Amino acid sequence: MSDGRVLDILSAIDMQVNAGEVAAILGPSGSGKSTLLGLLAGLDQPTAGRVSLLDRDLSTMDEDARAALRAGRVGFVFQSFQLLPGMTALENVALPLQIGRKPGARSQAETLLREVGLGERLSHLPRQLSGGEQQRVALARAFAGDPEVLFADEPTGNLDAESGQRVIELLFRLRDRVGSTLLLVTHDQQLAARCDRVLRLEAGRLQGDS
Amino acid sequence: MSGGWSSFLHWRAALRDPGLRLLAAAVLVAVAALSSVAFFADRVERALLLQGAALLAADLVAEQGEPIPQEWLEQAESLGLNRARGITFPSVIIANERPLLVQVKAVEVPYPLRGQLLVETPAGPADRPPGVGEAWLEGRLRDRLGATIGQTRVEIGELDLEAAGVLVDEPDRGGNLFQLAPRLMINFADAERSGLLGPASRVKYRLLLAGDPGQVQRMRSWLTARMSPDGGLVDVENARPELRTALERARRFLSLAALCSSLLAGVAILLATRRYVDRALDGAAVLRTLGMSGMAVLRWHLGQLLAVVSVATAIGSVAGLLGQQALVTLLGDWFGSVLPPPGPRPLLVGLLFGLSLALGFALPTLLRIGQVPPLRVLRREMEAPGVASWLIWLLAAAVFFGLMFWQVRDLRLAGGMALALLAALVVLMSAGWLLLRLLAPLRRAGGSAAMGLAALVRYPHLTLLQLSGFGLGITLLLLLTVVRVDIIDTWQGSLPETAPNHFLINLQPEERARFADLLQMRQVPNSGLHATTRARLIAIGARKVEPGSYANLRARRLAAREFNLGFSATMQGDNRIQQGRWWDRPDDAAVQQFSVEEGIAESLGVQLGDDLTFEVAGQTVTAPVTSLRSVAWDSFNVNFFVVGTPGMAADLPVTYLSSFFLDQDTEGVTLDVVREFPAVSVIDVRPLLRQVREIMERGALAVEMVFLFTLVAAGLVTVAAAQVSRDERAREVAVMRTLGASRRRLLGAVLAEFGLLGLLGGVLAALLASVSGYLIAVQLFDLPGRISPTTWWLGVVVGTLVVALVGWLATRRLLRVPPMQVFNSG
Repeated sequence: MSDGRVLDILSAIDMQVNAGEVAAILGPSGSGKSTLLGLLAGLDQPTAGRVSLLDRDLSTMDEDARAALRAGRVGFVFQSFQLLPGMTALENVALPLQIGRKPGARSQAETLLREVGLGERLSHLPRQLSGGEQQRVALARAFAGDPEVLFADEPTGNLDAESGQRVIELLFRLRDRVGSTLLLVTHDQQLAARCDRVLRLEAGRLQGDS
Repeated sequence: MSGGWSSFLHWRAALRDPGLRLLAAAVLVAVAALSSVAFFADRVERALLLQGAALLAADLVAEQGEPIPQEWLEQAESLGLNRARGITFPSVIIANERPLLVQVKAVEVPYPLRGQLLVETPAGPADRPPGVGEAWLEGRLRDRLGATIGQTRVEIGELDLEAAGVLVDEPDRGGNLFQLAPRLMINFADAERSGLLGPASRVKYRLLLAGDPGQVQRMRSWLTARMSPDGGLVDVENARPELRTALERARRFLSLAALCSSLLAGVAILLATRRYVDRALDGAAVLRTLGMSGMAVLRWHLGQLLAVVSVATAIGSVAGLLGQQALVTLLGDWFGSVLPPPGPRPLLVGLLFGLSLALGFALPTLLRIGQVPPLRVLRREMEAPGVASWLIWLLAAAVFFGLMFWQVRDLRLAGGMALALLAALVVLMSAGWLLLRLLAPLRRAGGSAAMGLAALVRYPHLTLLQLSGFGLGITLLLLLTVVRVDIIDTWQGSLPETAPNHFLINLQPEERARFADLLQMRQVPNSGLHATTRARLIAIGARKVEPGSYANLRARRLAAREFNLGFSATMQGDNRIQQGRWWDRPDDAAVQQFSVEEGIAESLGVQLGDDLTFEVAGQTVTAPVTSLRSVAWDSFNVNFFVVGTPGMAADLPVTYLSSFFLDQDTEGVTLDVVREFPAVSVIDVRPLLRQVREIMERGALAVEMVFLFTLVAAGLVTVAAAQVSRDERAREVAVMRTLGASRRRLLGAVLAEFGLLGLLGGVLAALLASVSGYLIAVQLFDLPGRISPTTWWLGVVVGTLVVALVGWLATRRLLRVPPMQVFNSG
């Protein structure tokens, strides 16, 4: 910080999520949930400590190696969707498959979009879709390639109750079909309650694991 | 909000905005580049004019058949101008009992006002006018008279003068090379006492003036109203056609280089503006949400833009001033002593350029900010209702070309440039559109190259913008590297090492064969013999030509004096027909036609088809004008304002003139010629030739220096074009990284994307540079056009490599930013 003090965003966190588990990180705003998710997924690097993902130590890997680890094995759902604005719904969903050089990317993407109820919106650009629809595209993208791990950061944070509910149903349905490990960040108690395990985070510290 | 607090907020907010930072950098570099060029070009142009003035011995010369009135001297005095009077007249002198016709020139201190007089006296070299009782003799006059300097007496009218020195060089060797008898220079006071200045004598009184350009201009206006009908005003612009052409070309080169820099700077500012405005719209939505009125939001952003652009412009201007000083230091040996101090105009050009360009490009879009819907906070795709985009472009283009014209003051050049730019944009946009169509199927492919190329299709507007930016940048760069060298080479090549450096006049028809033999024997390269006669234009059609009927001083002067009327079967190589056609049957004695140089035709109001009537030794000759020609006066070929068909010369008293090249080994030929053909005069034009060469060399060097700034501006355009898509690219890279795309793959995609843009931009730029270079050579510089293969390979190779490199560097930086950070920044 500018006055020379060190601000710990996260500290003393020791946790493990096992394969196939569905876990929620629950906490109020500013508790460091999203930062923790970013670290666990290798999107950022901790200043101290060690993170392993899919049995690989992320702290010994460079950005490229971490990206290679994610390719085709890890999926993401963000609060603000993070769809590429210049790509159609179909192209957005096909993207991870193309990055992972998987054959039949477009047809798989099309199947997934139909599964999330957007079979009629394949060639729409994100800006032509509602928030709920955009998040459903993001869900389809997250599950493209059947990821082993799925990270979801406040997936309903930007949605109304009805759309949010629909997205959650879809999320769990897809997860059940694929069998991915799911790590979900939320401040919504009800949503957290649907998970096998809830990790409570407050002011950057784990306060409970149930 | 208080003014100070508000400015502080503007600054703080502005410095955080990367879009505005880029815009400020673009404005700064643009203004620095442009004002350095403007400063430097302004100073060099004035130095070149001064050099020209040296050949006139003054900035302005008033010449008439009557003595210079006292009132004129007083006026010059009151304007703070330097002045010196002079008298020229032909007279017969006697020395060593030999009579000889000479051209007498009487001068007074402080002659010459510009340039240098060089005299050899027994006491050593001198640079002063002759004192009372002294005469300076031109070298060939001394030879002809067999005079001994310091001893021989020269009788002229009622005077008996001492041959006190040899006149080696006088800056103003008369307006017309071909009517020079040997020169005798005497003191002004002696001329007045000579008894030779009677009303019937062919005396010309001259007033030489020099000083502050503004005051000289004032004096010129004052004199124009007071000149007698046979009088005229001469300045460097109309003194010598050879010099005028060279100066004009040098000036055009500089203007062209400055224009290219301005264009590049304008493109950079335009590209940077787009990014700034995009971000500003987001900020505006937030401010609206917070309850700010549309007008207040607009004021806030305008204030921010103005604050940043003003400071960037001011710093840029100072940098420009320093930059041109660096140029001057670099070129100290070339211009140092004669380079006038920088004037205020270029500073103003730079300031206005930066301010109005940034505002002109940004304002139309910025005006939409007031109407931004607050909902944009939630739905970024919500656009502000705006002014039509063609209106934005029209406005920006108007600002830009207005400034360009103001800077170069050359409507033809600025207009041509505007048209060329428009054509270039059409070509680039059409090619870009075609490219997008061709690449469309790639959206379905998955390889990294295909992914990169598909990115071009995903953002068609950005692709077109970037292609235009890169394309224009490379075009201007090519124009200034390859085409510039070509044109300057051609220009300098038009005056080869063996260009004629001596002219010979007054050779009689019967002496032709002997003269030709002499030159052949001594192996002297020459232009052959050209028939000519002294003629006075007396009528154009039915209209009588009288000096008083012309308001234009040049025309008045031309109408008053005798022409050298030339006769020729073929046209000189450096001439170009502008209207009509050269005669088809030159050998047919019955064909009587004239061809007129376009400049003199314009001054005298001569049109194609007009009948011209000349008086030649008491006879009149009338014939129609069948062609108008342009003449490359700086070629030093034998050229005439008016040329007639050879048949017309048959009944007229013609003499012949020739031009030839003498080097150190053949220098003695002059003496042989003068001895063998006593009536001829040989004129040494080496000093003039040297002067023209110097203008060419310095002009070329100045353009090289200006080019450095163009390079900086081009670099800026490339960076700005790559930055245009930075925000979109940052997000895209972050998402791709999150989804597991490797660094190599992303870089590969970017290389493919930018490489293709660069390749296409390079090919199109080579095409555009070749075509415009050809047109520039032919249309602007009257030089033969040529297309260099270097343009092509350089365009393609440099275009592809540089653009790919810029894209690669930009993306590499993005790859270092953790994806989470990009997502958090919104």
